[in-house]
Amino acid sequence: MKLEDIARELGLTELTPEVTGSAEAEIERGYASDLLSDVLAHAPEGGVLVTLQVHLNVIAVASHAEMAAVIFAGGRRPEDDVCAKAIAEGLALYVSPADTFDVVGRLFAMGVKGTHA
Amino acid sequence: MTPPAIVERALAEGLAMIAICDHNSTRNTAAVQEAAGARLTVLAGMEITTAEECHVVALFPDAAAAQAAGAAVGATLGQVDDGYEAFFGEQRVLAADGRERARETLALATATRLDVDAVVELVHGHGGLAIAAHIDRRSFGVIGQLGFFPAEAGFDAVELSRHVTPGSPEAAGFAAHGLPLVHSSDAHYQRDIGAARTLVHCERPTFDELALALAGERGRSVGDA
Repeated sequence: MKLEDIARELGLTELTPEVTGSAEAEIERGYASDLLSDVLAHAPEGGVLVTLQVHLNVIAVASHAEMAAVIFAGGRRPEDDVCAKAIAEGLALYVSPADTFDVVGRLFAMGVKGTHA
Repeated sequence: MTPPAIVERALAEGLAMIAICDHNSTRNTAAVQEAAGARLTVLAGMEITTAEECHVVALFPDAAAAQAAGAAVGATLGQVDDGYEAFFGEQRVLAADGRERARETLALATATRLDVDAVVELVHGHGGLAIAAHIDRRSFGVIGQLGFFPAEAGFDAVELSRHVTPGSPEAAGFAAHGLPLVHSSDAHYQRDIGAARTLVHCERPTFDELALALAGERGRSVGDA
């Protein structure tokens, strides 16, 4: 599933249009957690992270785990400096008004699986 | 835990200075200071829950500064509902003699809407010290919540829980953040008071001396070194 298709299907708001090439990225795995230490330990490479955390550290953690994108659930929007850091790291950020459960459920239905599926 | 009981236990444990750090509230600090009188230094503090659900220990120069910061924190909290106290415990506001003065109606067990950076800024704005609470703990420590230590937040010190032995290799690992280490009991019950403590090299047990010790200025310091 391409990131651009996910964004369209889920009605996501893109926060980092400057990140080029990410729309074409194929997303097969996902992870949902608000504990960034947990994300650091378990997030799948090339996957998408669904989280409520909007702290700057999200970018470092997701980049370190080599994730392709982050979806902030519940309509939570990070500050501009967080978006700027993501752009510098080539990490795509999106916001969904839906809560984590709904975002993950829809991703799963589209074929994006967890690390153990 | 009433103010007199806290003071008696702290004195029995041989402590020279304690801090009262209710979750997201400073309303009990003045009562414990009054109960202590000149026998024990009681700092007015607060354990603030940031929007990321990190705990930050805030210590203030006096009760007035603490109250002002407490009001700013309280303004971002919701109200308790029916059943809240049954689950989270009674939120008593006590007088110096231990009598109940009021019940707090703000939901103190929830997170504020202030992020880590904003909390540190708020604490500093009221002349206080901001300490990253129990960073060795998975729950509510900044490292557990945020993956690694947020150096840019501007903390004055990091706190280790009683589960980490002072001077141990584990403690030394946390010193790598370049900030002074303090050990605190995080006492939620009277029996826990004194379960962990920090050695402060200073002239007298006061907020100002502690601030100098954390900054490593004028010969003051914290810890065994």
